[in-house]
Amino acid sequence: MSAFLEIKNVSKRFGGLAANSDVSFDVGLGEIVGLIGPNGAGKTTLFNCITGFYAPTSGDVLFKGVRINGLQPDAVCRLGMVRTWQKVRPLAKMTVLDNVMVGALVRTHSLRVARQVAQEQLRVVRLDHKSHFLAGSLPIGERKKLEVGRVLATKPELLLLDEVMGGLNQAESEEIILLILELKKLGLTQVVIEHDMKAIMRLSDRLVVLNSGEKLAEGSPTQVATNKDVITAYLGEAVDA
Amino acid sequence: MSSLLRSLRTPRGFSAPAFLAYLAVIGLVALVPQFSRKPLILHMWIMVFLAIAQGSAWNIVGGYAGQYSVGHAAYFGIGAYTTMLLLELHQIAPWYGIGLSMLNAVLLSVVIGSITFRLRGPYFVLASISMAEIIRLAALHFKDLTRGAEGILLNGIPPLETPWFTVKFLGKVPFFYTSLGLAVIVISVTWFVQHSKLGYTFQAIREDQDAAHSLGINPTLHKNLALMLSAAFTAAAGSLFALYVRFIDPNIAFGIDVSVQMVLICIIGGIGTILGPVVGSVVLVLLSESLRNPKWLVQAGLLADSSPTVAFIEARLSNAHVLFYGVLVVVVVLFAPEGFLGLLRTAVARVKKRLAAKPTPPSQPAAAA
Amino acid sequence: MAIFLQSLLSGILVGGVYALIGIGLTIIFGVMRVINFAHGDLLMLGMYVTWGLFALFNIDPYLSLLITAPVLFLWGVLLQKVFINRVLNALPQNQILLTIGMGLVMSNAIMLAFTSDYRILTTSYTSSAFQVFGLSVSQPLLYSFLITVAITGALFWFLQNTDTGQAIRATAQDRDAAQLMGINVKRMSVLAFGLGTAMAGIAGALLAPTYYIFPQVGGPFTLKAFVVVVLGGMGSIVGATLGGILIGVTESLSAVYVASGLKELVVYVLFLLILLFRPAGLLGKSRT
Repeated sequence: MSAFLEIKNVSKRFGGLAANSDVSFDVGLGEIVGLIGPNGAGKTTLFNCITGFYAPTSGDVLFKGVRINGLQPDAVCRLGMVRTWQKVRPLAKMTVLDNVMVGALVRTHSLRVARQVAQEQLRVVRLDHKSHFLAGSLPIGERKKLEVGRVLATKPELLLLDEVMGGLNQAESEEIILLILELKKLGLTQVVIEHDMKAIMRLSDRLVVLNSGEKLAEGSPTQVATNKDVITAYLGEAVDA
Repeated sequence: MSSLLRSLRTPRGFSAPAFLAYLAVIGLVALVPQFSRKPLILHMWIMVFLAIAQGSAWNIVGGYAGQYSVGHAAYFGIGAYTTMLLLELHQIAPWYGIGLSMLNAVLLSVVIGSITFRLRGPYFVLASISMAEIIRLAALHFKDLTRGAEGILLNGIPPLETPWFTVKFLGKVPFFYTSLGLAVIVISVTWFVQHSKLGYTFQAIREDQDAAHSLGINPTLHKNLALMLSAAFTAAAGSLFALYVRFIDPNIAFGIDVSVQMVLICIIGGIGTILGPVVGSVVLVLLSESLRNPKWLVQAGLLADSSPTVAFIEARLSNAHVLFYGVLVVVVVLFAPEGFLGLLRTAVARVKKRLAAKPTPPSQPAAAA
Repeated sequence: MAIFLQSLLSGILVGGVYALIGIGLTIIFGVMRVINFAHGDLLMLGMYVTWGLFALFNIDPYLSLLITAPVLFLWGVLLQKVFINRVLNALPQNQILLTIGMGLVMSNAIMLAFTSDYRILTTSYTSSAFQVFGLSVSQPLLYSFLITVAITGALFWFLQNTDTGQAIRATAQDRDAAQLMGINVKRMSVLAFGLGTAMAGIAGALLAPTYYIFPQVGGPFTLKAFVVVVLGGMGSIVGATLGGILIGVTESLSAVYVASGLKELVVYVLFLLILLFRPAGLLGKSRT
């Protein structure tokens, strides 16, 4: 039996620099997998490799049993896997509703249907009261919600969330955490990059730890939290900071 | 491909009053030659219509898809040359020639697009300029095909005979209606684009290509689609222009000022909007034609024949229209980057705010629920 | 072989002036990240100043550099302070349009003032040449080249060895970091635009004895400056120097071996190839 998403020995080199080396792990259907690691550990690079923005230098990415490295991001999205951006990318001069409609239009040609889907998703992320605001005018918390609403509108089966809680206050983060858990209940598989340890421990079924491009550890949150290598890596970072 | 066709259909946001107003304006404008056939007045209208067609065509790829091509002279020129050469060398009537010229431009746009769209931002701009320059230089050099700098002079256009009526392309009236028709077609196409999936796709690419890519949009395909549409109508405008002025050479047809003017029309009016190119064309053509040929003001009854203004413009300012273009662009970029329409919008918003603020004391603006 | 050497030589001599144009553009881009589409028109202004000084006071074009360069420098400073400064953070498209507009204003103002007639600046040595090893070396081209070498050298020295020069280089490398280090970034931008304009003006003066002078002469030079700069890598002065010479040689060789009407076309094709396959330029590192 193959997993929902399989990452097999993925390496990505930029010139002489290895951003990912030989990373492998699986994501099962309906799971939330947390991806953690110090800054520069290669988490976002791995997202880029999975979603087609980078072609891995070597290794394979299999989604629903199909090899997808080499596919363009738009094709990956149509297959049902979509990512958010660590640095949010609102379509600034379009309205909030239009932003989400862009996502919805992957699955339909009808603007009417897309508008309905978008309105639904805006309710899910509690942004429906801002439908007609320009996306560029939203504060950071709402931009992050918009980012999530927009990817949900593409009807994904696997969601890659890149620090959706970064820069949010506690109440806003809590809202996002509840949203992620709600989506899990609906059966959505998710891979989450997050810096907030408390949040990621609470959310994840399993954790994968990256350090300087390599997989350092993998396991349940408690296993990982007591892993010696992980503690060293994180203490090291804390001292650096 | 069928999905693309479907995405062009069933636009939303249709408003009956606006549509009727649109039809009414077209109807009124179409009546103009019934009242005045003064050649300079009709000339003004024709230049405005051609400018609208060019500006709106550029707007599809530049304003909606956000790809600032400064090389659209390539499509304008290929349109002009295709129609003129077919007519002069092979006696192929222009109504077929225009179709072939559009096809030619689309083919050219596929070649140019597949090269230049690999680049972004300023590098794309530079590549688009070089493409048009390469074609201009080639048109100057390969005299066997294009007659080089000597240009092509049109001897006459055969009459268009249909079972119902015959059109002789003499005088300005036939050109008035054909260029009006073209302008209406391009404006309508822009409307359909804006109110379709295609429009959303284009705008998403303009706002953030990577974000659009991650949301399932193929940027290369859609940038090329926008360019193909844009190139086809630019070529149609080029064909009509050539037939109207009856002479082209590589600098007239492929010159960089042709490309720049198309951008200016949109910037001055308001980029990425349906009405922007219309407003921009009126402003730009009125300005440049008034300076180049102030006699039209006399024919329009605005100035007396003996008016010293006319004499002054003719003596002093007849070469100054490009200077005014330049000043206009500098002013618009610095003070009204959203163009005249943007100015209008902010003015309206300000008035609305003031009106809304009057009855109640200023309070926290509540978001519409 | 003699033909080849001859065209190689004149290519290198002309290329020196192209390099100067490119260096001006690349300094402006390096420090401000603004692509200056009015660069050729600044060069045209330099030509007219030189021509004016020659026609009115009979000042030798090479001597008049002492006036042309500072005048153009001040003009650049003015343009930067009044116009460019306002769009430093605007969309690149709007920056491009602004400089296109400025170029149109300059070339057409000159046209209104001096008509579009071709002006020729004829000195006693305009058409004389030295004979070296059977090759003829045009005197004005040689003088221009030597002056270019001297000015490029001086500029290099200035950027490497003076405090201001180092501040300019630091700003070009990283604007924000330079600001944090206490460098007056605004002043560096003004200086850079002034310097870039002066370089364009000097190039105009150097071309004046061998070129027709008319208001629209700048356009092709703007494009050529871009080719030079992209070829060498945006922001790199060494790159622009080599790029200029390479373009000069390409032009003069293709004029002989392809067709003289196609020499510019060959340059543009080369330009597109570089953009596509070696986008950081021949010497450049990265363009972001």
